[in-house]
Amino acid sequence: MIWKYRRTLAIVLLLLIAAASVAYWGNGLTQRDPVDITVIIKSTDASVEFWEVLMDGVQEAAQEFEANVRVTGSRTETDVDEQIALVEQAIQEKPDAIVLAANDYDRLVPIAEKVRNSGIKLIIVDSGINSDAAHSSVATDNVNAGMKAGEVLQSHVEGPAKVAIISYVKNAASQIDREKGARSILDGIPNIDLLDTYYVEGSERNAYLMAKKILRTQQDVVGIIGLNEPTTVGAGRAIQELGLKDKVTLIGFDSSVNEIMLLDEGVMKATVIQRPFQMGYLSIKTAIDAVKRNTVPRTIDTGSLVITKQNMYEEENQKLLFPFVTN
Amino acid sequence: MKLVSFLRFRSMQTNMVLAFVLLILMTIVIMSVVSYFLSKDAVQSNAKTYTTELVKQVNNNIRSYVNGMMYISDLVDGNPYVQQYMARHEDGDPAKERALKQAVADFLESMAVSRADISSVSLFGYSGEFVSGNKELALNPFIDIPSLDWYRVAREAGGEYVISPSHVQPVFKNRYPWVVSLSMELTSRESGTKFGIFLIDLNFSVMNDMLQDIRLGQRGYLFIVDSEGRIVYHPQQQLIYSKLKTENIDEVLRIKNGTFMGDDDGNRRMYTVQESEFGWKIVGVSYVSELVGNQNEMRLSIIVLGLVCIVIAIVISLFVSQRVSQPIKQLQGYMKEVEKGNFDIQVPVPTTIEIGRLARAFNMMVGRIKELMSQVVRDQELKRRSEINALQAQINPHFLYNTLDSIIWMAESKKSQEVVLMTSALAKLFRASISKGEELVTIETELEHITNYLKIQKMRYKNKLDYRIETSDTVGRYKTIKLILQPIVENAIYHGIKMKRGPGLITISSEETAADVLLIVEDNGNGMDEEKLSKLLSQQYEGEAGKGVGVGNVHGRLKLYFGPQYGLEYKSKPGEGTTVTIRLPKHPPVIGGGIR
Repeated sequence: MIWKYRRTLAIVLLLLIAAASVAYWGNGLTQRDPVDITVIIKSTDASVEFWEVLMDGVQEAAQEFEANVRVTGSRTETDVDEQIALVEQAIQEKPDAIVLAANDYDRLVPIAEKVRNSGIKLIIVDSGINSDAAHSSVATDNVNAGMKAGEVLQSHVEGPAKVAIISYVKNAASQIDREKGARSILDGIPNIDLLDTYYVEGSERNAYLMAKKILRTQQDVVGIIGLNEPTTVGAGRAIQELGLKDKVTLIGFDSSVNEIMLLDEGVMKATVIQRPFQMGYLSIKTAIDAVKRNTVPRTIDTGSLVITKQNMYEEENQKLLFPFVTN
Repeated sequence: MKLVSFLRFRSMQTNMVLAFVLLILMTIVIMSVVSYFLSKDAVQSNAKTYTTELVKQVNNNIRSYVNGMMYISDLVDGNPYVQQYMARHEDGDPAKERALKQAVADFLESMAVSRADISSVSLFGYSGEFVSGNKELALNPFIDIPSLDWYRVAREAGGEYVISPSHVQPVFKNRYPWVVSLSMELTSRESGTKFGIFLIDLNFSVMNDMLQDIRLGQRGYLFIVDSEGRIVYHPQQQLIYSKLKTENIDEVLRIKNGTFMGDDDGNRRMYTVQESEFGWKIVGVSYVSELVGNQNEMRLSIIVLGLVCIVIAIVISLFVSQRVSQPIKQLQGYMKEVEKGNFDIQVPVPTTIEIGRLARAFNMMVGRIKELMSQVVRDQELKRRSEINALQAQINPHFLYNTLDSIIWMAESKKSQEVVLMTSALAKLFRASISKGEELVTIETELEHITNYLKIQKMRYKNKLDYRIETSDTVGRYKTIKLILQPIVENAIYHGIKMKRGPGLITISSEETAADVLLIVEDNGNGMDEEKLSKLLSQQYEGEAGKGVGVGNVHGRLKLYFGPQYGLEYKSKPGEGTTVTIRLPKHPPVIGGGIR
């Protein structure tokens, strides 16, 4: 009797091994299925270079890892409701993963949790939300970037001096973190008097007017940190206009042709830039990893870089500052 | 060892199925591995050829751009206006100088518009002169021109062409185009003095657009490095700068033309390198896994075919083993029947040759066994009958009559002593022959019996008969079946001595060989002719008129009990007497007792 059972057992075992190996081989086929990813960015406005570069990274990764990527986004960075609707729509389409650059730190939390609950992997890119719903967050460590800006400013300014920080909007995670980073460096310096942060409500023009007002009314302000591209360019224009480029040190964030001209001219001493291409690339890579059930790190810092007049034309920085090959 | 015994399946069917499946699996695995590698090699060498061709093509295209620039720079270098303008003296006429500058600018402009891919054509004099073919361009006031690479290197190169990698050209105000620059130092044809740098910028977008569209397979791409390993073009330049991706630049620089394999995150990549005349290396990168792109379909078809083969193998092996084992099982069933004692069966002979032979042999065997069984039954019957006959012989009525007659006659003649002798001999004779019903008796008992018999006969025949028992003592302990000597002696008396004139002598002696005992009964009676002799040993010959049981019976019984080599042997000549040799085994086989 035992003999008979053993034999059956052996046959079953052999068949199982065969089936397992077939399954293993077959797995190679299923893995080839392209991963569907929906990318929702802050702005589809083609003139915003940052998002264009980020999308380049996304496309590059999509091609390399053979993913189907669909990109949507609200028309402007401030349209939170539209973005929520876009996420809702994306959930209906049931992609494997959603890559989201949140327009608002708080208001996208419920929809993000809905994404997570419907079994779709959620990867945050660039701008985070006030929640743990995301599987991973691929972004610049903005506190760290702010600290870099603070350090550069400190190296240019001799006390006693007043320093102003101009923030784009109040409730944006990136602005909050950068300010925090910059303050953490500058607060401890004895000769530096850090003024309250100025908010310009998402407008370059406001930043320009604000900077002009600060420089006119407070003669002892010798350092300005613009927390993003429009605030920096606005402040730069004010400094240019007032002819204060040798007196006032402007440290900016991000890059654009305008900022490069400010840098060339010496109006802006340094800009802290992010790596949007890496962000886009890594967000897709991470999304695919998450879909394939590999563990992914909760946060991925794509890093930041201080660009000055001295290093701006170095081979490696050129591609970051001038991402596009145009005539 | 345990495993081996574990795998030793007893059922033929299982064994066959497993063997088939294993065979098919092994064949499939070996074949798929071999074909995989063969096709991989083929595809790889194809891809190598294709990529090399493509890289060559790109090289040609780029060369045509660069050659165009070189051609323009040669024109500029040799242009008399340029020479004059650059070689002018400080104290020259300003109006004339302006006119010269205008001429140079016009000339440069004609160069600039000659090709759409030219971004700018400019002259930078060592004493601060700047002439551009693009009149709208102004210098970027914040840039230190001599610190720029194209300027510095051209100056160091002393009149040679210098081709930069792709870079941002910041030298013009409010313009930051991506260009590839060709620059060269200009030398005066007259004095040989060096008077400035000529710069021609080629829109990198032209090259970029061309290269961007080139894909080697799904993911493969093309990149270009200059002779120092700086990247001229790379679709994933940013990833390389941030170390998310690495390219084996060292190996690319080491190799002039050709291919090599590289590894990155477990992705094998094939690098095809081609060097251009001006130091750039054009490198095609293709993914090996992609080259063997159809490997999945190959795999799938192998898996499907394999599964189909295995299923077919199982079905066939089940069928075949069924065909083999079914008749064997049937045969086994018949054997069980035979075991139970049913010999009246005939196995139907299957068509399979081997099994058919087996069935035929089985049928023959059963038939033979059946025959032997009936033979045994027959033998047994015969034995019984002859034994009964032998017993009958003991109480042969004629012998008893005659003996009792003799006793009566002796009693009448008052020969009481002889009556006593004869009666006691008769009594002993019968006692010996009863022998407690055993089949085998010792030769000693048999001799005692015959002695008593001969005593009685001697008393009857007086001087007409004499006898001698000359057996050795050693034979006494061997066994024999009973009542074998009496018929022979009886025969000797009635047919030999009685017919003879004068007295007769019967001698009983013994001999021994290694395995046998021989009892020899000899008489000097009448003897027999051949014809009688030949009849004598057949069972049918029953003597005369029912007188006693014949020697044929003895002969038959001896053969039955001890085997065909035993029995009686007669030698006789008419008028000279007869010698009978009884051959017995020293150690009779026990079957005598078995077949009862």
